[in-house]
Amino acid sequence: MSEQLHFAEHTLQEVALGFMALVYCIRIYWFTRFTAGKERQPPTGPASTTPRKGILFSWGIIGMPWAMESSRKNMFMWLQFVLFHMGVVAAIGLSFIIPYLPEVLAIAGVIPTLQVLTGTACVIGVMRMIRRLGGKHMRAISTPDDVFSLLLLTVWFAFAFQAVPNSTANGEWQLMTYFWMTAFFLVYVPFSKISHYLYYPFTRYYLGKSMGRRGVFPFERGQPQAAPTGTPGAPALANVGAIQRVKA
Amino acid sequence: MERSYKAQKVIDRLGQKLNRQVVGSLVACVHCGNCTDSCHYVLANPDDPTYAPAWKGDRLRKIFKKHFDWTGRVVPWWVGAKSPETDADLEELKDIVFGKCTNCRRCTMNCPMGVDFATFNRLTRGLLVHVGIMPEGVAVVSKDQWELGNQMGVLKEDYIDTVEWMSDELVDEVGDDKAAIPIDKSDVEVMYTINPREAKYDPRTISDAAKIFWAAGESYTMPSEGWDMTNFGLFSGDDELGGTVSRRVYEKAQALRAKKVVISECGHGYRSTLCEGANWAQFDVDFVMESSVQTMLRYIKEGKIKVDKSLNISSYTYHDSCNFARSCGMTEEPRELLNLVVSDFREMYPNRAENYCCTGGGGAMSMTEYTPQRLKSARVKADQLKATGAKVVVTSCHNCVDGLTDLIKHYGLDMEVTQLVNLVANSLLVEKAAEVPEAEHAVSTTLAFAGRTILVVDDEADARRFIATVLEDNGATVLQAVDGDEALQMMRDKKPDLVTLDLSMPGKDGGRVFEEIRNDSELSGARVCIITGKPELRRLIYERPVREPEGYINKPIQEDVLVSNLRRILELTNKAA
Ligand code: HEM
Ligand code: SF4
Ligand code: SF4
Repeated sequence: MSEQLHFAEHTLQEVALGFMALVYCIRIYWFTRFTAGKERQPPTGPASTTPRKGILFSWGIIGMPWAMESSRKNMFMWLQFVLFHMGVVAAIGLSFIIPYLPEVLAIAGVIPTLQVLTGTACVIGVMRMIRRLGGKHMRAISTPDDVFSLLLLTVWFAFAFQAVPNSTANGEWQLMTYFWMTAFFLVYVPFSKISHYLYYPFTRYYLGKSMGRRGVFPFERGQPQAAPTGTPGAPALANVGAIQRVKA
Repeated sequence: MERSYKAQKVIDRLGQKLNRQVVGSLVACVHCGNCTDSCHYVLANPDDPTYAPAWKGDRLRKIFKKHFDWTGRVVPWWVGAKSPETDADLEELKDIVFGKCTNCRRCTMNCPMGVDFATFNRLTRGLLVHVGIMPEGVAVVSKDQWELGNQMGVLKEDYIDTVEWMSDELVDEVGDDKAAIPIDKSDVEVMYTINPREAKYDPRTISDAAKIFWAAGESYTMPSEGWDMTNFGLFSGDDELGGTVSRRVYEKAQALRAKKVVISECGHGYRSTLCEGANWAQFDVDFVMESSVQTMLRYIKEGKIKVDKSLNISSYTYHDSCNFARSCGMTEEPRELLNLVVSDFREMYPNRAENYCCTGGGGAMSMTEYTPQRLKSARVKADQLKATGAKVVVTSCHNCVDGLTDLIKHYGLDMEVTQLVNLVANSLLVEKAAEVPEAEHAVSTTLAFAGRTILVVDDEADARRFIATVLEDNGATVLQAVDGDEALQMMRDKKPDLVTLDLSMPGKDGGRVFEEIRNDSELSGARVCIITGKPELRRLIYERPVREPEGYINKPIQEDVLVSNLRRILELTNKAA
């Protein structure tokens, strides 16, 4: 391994990680400086819905594709989201495995698994890019940051895919690019929309707390019933399984 | 270019209004577009991305990023950050936050990140209202609620008169003096609060509720003040108004030492009074509050009232009000109650927290400049209603009653709208109803306007024909005039008992005609009911230096609203005479 690659795998990553952690701490501090609105309203809705249940439901909603109409009606999109983020976990994990635990890669199945995850995520990234740039609505809501973040991740996945075997047999450039991209990504993330995961616990916590208090979360599903199909001009009405709340 | 004063104020005010929940919603959006299809405006305008919730949300997000977030301050174009610079920018923002969103919260429910767009859309409305930028209708209604304590400009005397009128009618109907509606009685179990629409357009819901309270033997009162449980602050984003209005209700309940406040069927009223009001008013409420839906359901379950569902013979579906269901979790009680009072109930899909807005929410009915786009988006709801095959749509919200009635008319659906209170009252079995004397029977079966002459003034032939037909069906002799001069002449010649006067007419508009009537010694005593498609024009009438009209009705006109209002004018002014 060249000195440059060693630097990219270790010092560079550590500095980038440290920078990211620092910026994130400042970011969380900045965020929590905004006082949270206090809720005085008495609880409403069925007794089975409480703020606590609402919060748990709200945090978990992302893993319950049946719970929200937007994921229920677009299961494929939801699956893309899951696979894309599994790719994120794999590619980030890889940036720790290669420098600190390279022996893990020797375990049977690890390399193909990581390659499937990052490869799939890369393909989904391309699909997402087509969706983002191709659709009128998506284009209208996209900023350069949205496009760049997606592009960055998609290319990063491609290099992660190639970096997985941790081999320099065909030269070091794949590994080198992967680690430099990882470092760039770590530094860039706090300033981009990718930092959404930092806010996710908060936004969903507050929404869940309020909705739980008001008897809206959790949606309790009883018998799913088919919606009438063929409602002209209103595609969203077709094939919607209605939420059936079960009274406490 | 220097930033306008108002634009700067909006930015400053945003800084004061930001709380953690709102900031979270502003920073967390990943622009994934998952919420796009959840909005009824998008479904009705599939080619126009400016209806997408995330696009609309970005209008405030841009300002936030430019002034309060990091990247946006340094490289604004990279994250789409931008300041409003001119008053025209604010006007444009107004048309989006008021005209392209009913704050129904359906997109909120469909956002994986928990971005609550509807809440910060409300906040944006509030920022604009703060600098006086709002649709005319919002200004009028807010002013009424600030000044008169209710959002429909009902004067205290008119409110009391209406309650007393309904009280008399109920006593006559059931033949029991105990059915009289108490006003300002202290130490009661229940203080009953209503939507001013009931006093103004639909007094039958007041007498229906009173009939139920009477049948249940409830100790209740209606307050003389703090009776309006609706709150335009929810729609205008004005927390100060919101707090003031809800405080009026809370303080009145405390003054009367009522143990419970019952909120009549109204989605936004329920949400404002029960949920948001305490936050806006910073008020810790020490009494119970509930919806009249819960009250009626409890009466039936506890055997306090008995109902016979065979008395409601049509087919019914239920429309969940956004505020009632999606923001307050009130989804099962209305269905349970409905199933107790009707036999043929048909669910609507999607429903409960996933239901589509009636499209009249968020104060949309008062913003006439956006009516065409509102009615266009209403196609989604119309399709939903049609698919149920029901003849009657029941809803627990007065706002929805208006929104649904309007869209039903617009899309030519063969449906009616009603509320649970009407169905419960209609199915009520009153065991010991006293004998009603023959003479009173005779009165109640007489046509409402028998022996009356009413002059209908409107330049639109369709409107004239509609009003005239309804009035003639109810026994009136109807005269018609197409413009102000003809109207004045007819009034002199025929001396009608009542005049319905359209405001927007070519030539001499209704406002001028009205002023001439009042200033004419021969005509000044005439009873006049203003009819207008533009509620904001009402101010032009009420601010004239002449005696107010006896009533006003907004277009589109509903038959029963027309009849009950004109009846009210004739009967109350008779009494006063
Ligand atoms: C707690 C962890 C996380 C949560 C809950 C989360 C949640 C989400 C959600 C809900 C979306 C939108 C879903 C969709 O488009 O269907 C999204 C999109 C995205 N996420 Fe995450 N995420 C997390 C972590 C991450 C991380 C660590 C990264 C990258 C390092 C990342 C990168 C992205 C990107 C780039 C998109 C946009 C995809 C597109 O443009 O289509 N996420 N995330
Ligand atoms: S709150 Fe309702 S009307 Fe407004 S954008 Fe969301 S879905 Fe559309
Ligand atoms: S679903 Fe949520 S995160 Fe996605 S675009 Fe809409 S508001 Fe933004």
